[in-house]
Amino acid sequence: MSTADAKLWLDRINALKITETIKIMNVCGGHERALNQAGLRTLLPSKIELIPGPGCPVCICPEEAIAMAMNIALNESAIVVTFGDMMRVPINAAKAEPRSLEQARACGGDIRPIASPIEARLIALQHPNQQVLFFMAGFETTTAPTAALITEGIPDNLLLLLAARRTWPAVAHLLSDERPGFDALIAPGHVSAVMGSDEWRFVADQHQLPVAVAGFDAASLLAAIYSVITQKQRGKAELENCYPSVVTTAGNRIAQQLIEQTMNVVDSRWRGIGTIPASGYALNKSACAHDAHIHFSQYAINNDQNHHMPPGCDCAQVVLGKCYPNQCRLYGSACTPSTPIGPCMVSDEGACRIWWANGLHKTLAHKQA
Amino acid sequence: MKKGIHRAGHITLAHGNGGRHMRALITEIFAHHLGNAALDTQCDAATLTFPQPLAEEQLLFTTDGFTVDPLEFPGGDIGSLAIHGTVNDLAVSGAIPLYFSLNAFIEEGLAIAQLERIVISMARAAAACGVKVVTGDTKVVRRGEGSGLYLATSAIGIKRSSLTLAMSQIKSGDVIIISGSIGDHGTAVMLAREAFGLQGALQSDATSVQPLTDALLKFSGLRFMRDPTRGGLATVLHEIHHATSLGAHLKQDAIPVRDEVASVCEILGYDPLYLACEGRVVAVIDKHQASAALDALRALPDGRNAAIIGEIASALPYVMLETPLGGQRIIEELEDEPLPRIC
Repeated sequence: MSTADAKLWLDRINALKITETIKIMNVCGGHERALNQAGLRTLLPSKIELIPGPGCPVCICPEEAIAMAMNIALNESAIVVTFGDMMRVPINAAKAEPRSLEQARACGGDIRPIASPIEARLIALQHPNQQVLFFMAGFETTTAPTAALITEGIPDNLLLLLAARRTWPAVAHLLSDERPGFDALIAPGHVSAVMGSDEWRFVADQHQLPVAVAGFDAASLLAAIYSVITQKQRGKAELENCYPSVVTTAGNRIAQQLIEQTMNVVDSRWRGIGTIPASGYALNKSACAHDAHIHFSQYAINNDQNHHMPPGCDCAQVVLGKCYPNQCRLYGSACTPSTPIGPCMVSDEGACRIWWANGLHKTLAHKQA
Repeated sequence: MKKGIHRAGHITLAHGNGGRHMRALITEIFAHHLGNAALDTQCDAATLTFPQPLAEEQLLFTTDGFTVDPLEFPGGDIGSLAIHGTVNDLAVSGAIPLYFSLNAFIEEGLAIAQLERIVISMARAAAACGVKVVTGDTKVVRRGEGSGLYLATSAIGIKRSSLTLAMSQIKSGDVIIISGSIGDHGTAVMLAREAFGLQGALQSDATSVQPLTDALLKFSGLRFMRDPTRGGLATVLHEIHHATSLGAHLKQDAIPVRDEVASVCEILGYDPLYLACEGRVVAVIDKHQASAALDALRALPDGRNAAIIGEIASALPYVMLETPLGGQRIIEELEDEPLPRIC
């Protein structure tokens, strides 16, 4: 959709009589990024609050998975590949020990950033005599191509360390709170393209909250914001698909089947949140020869404390939508993109990083929070 | 029988040992292509002549280093880049570049044919810019200690205008002009490297900006010029902000960005405002002369897409981008090396 479409939706929203504050959570880090890039918070009526939610796979990747990938890189001759924004995620570690994959690389680990699972396959084929470990953190959008990597002839020397998560169980977890802290939901467009918009129907049916699936431009986001506000005003919660060019009710059946063929749904830890039932994927029997959790089980860390954020860091509250990035006492002082303390300051999908990159620690911040 | 350089071979450590192979490399590759009256490989220093007696503050001197992977990319290579990059540093300072020094750090194993292609390209760029390489040195580093080839250049130029070009000249209300689309070089090199599995044939914008700066120097209201290389357009505006405390108000829909660049940025989560250009000029100019300066740029082949992209604003304590919808975004200083995001 074009800028003209976006202006149209903005005019429609501005024409609404909004008397009560409405808090709208956007699940996806990509949405938070897109709405900041369009400057939407500076354009919308002040009664509309846009709250960043749990949709940053880097931010919620549990520490123990990162530590395991680091230890394998430092102690084995394996090449570790991972999505670029995992490289700098800090973990709690003893002083003088590396605290991120990037630091582990500086200490001698062969750790390489990639942008897609295909690259993991290419690197494995280029190094047939070495083990290649693909440390994969991501949601359904990257889980599906990872499943395809397995079914389409995975090289023998390629191992997978999965930290794959399902999005809707995290939202269900937030909604299980008596006061979830938001009145409506913008559902993630790319996840819905894979899994289908129907995955989000429970938000309206079981929790009576308006929900709309949005794409990643200003027009689609504004259309979804308009949808949930007018649903609330009508007093009728529904699911609306504002990204119909890409998202269907049932989603991409082939992608879903690839996931079903290669993975099981399991209870999984979310950093800062804890264990959420049925919220992640593990490789099933058919792919167990490539499961790093089995192959490198000696590096597995199983510590219940490991879902905690660093001391003083409010990333857990930010991920849950309970506080805005600039309400964290470390934001912009001890914690900046150069010296990130919590994971949300690292990834381009992390709310703190997005706010920082768009200058929300400066004068505009008070207007926007 | 005369034993010259083996053009089908590779650089070995012998090409750096001071002996016969090194002499062959210098005379048959470097001096052969870059040769000029002032370049005498028998002398340890070059004698320079200047077109007219020099007055005070007329001589400008600059230095630059070049590393790029891959060494050759659509629209250029490390050789032409070294000439253009150094010429551009002098050009945006208001000078005509004249003389170059060149240091080449060559990695053992580099194909001599590739090295020669790069030196030929450098010679072509130097001839087109009217500059001469008058002194140089080569070193060979062991395999694994370099990335094929590193170049270091220094250059001397003569100031051609009485204008004082400096950030201190910039005033609130001055207009910001960019001479063409941003991020082409950064994206072209990324694509040429097939980084992150991406491919494409986008051309780098790497070229001499001297025709552009010559056109701009005719305007008395010109305050400052800079070529937005590493760190891109956003970084130039931050440098201005740090030096002057003046903010900038940019209009996003006025900033020229090629579709290919926008797509790559969309996929990887990059922002074209931070990507390198190697043939563009950011100019700050008095608002009354801005539209005439824009016309002058647009009349040139490399300035066809020049645009007025915003203005200097004392009321803003930051660099602010107005989005096409009318929203506002503060453009932060670049933090770390960008890494691609997950989804």
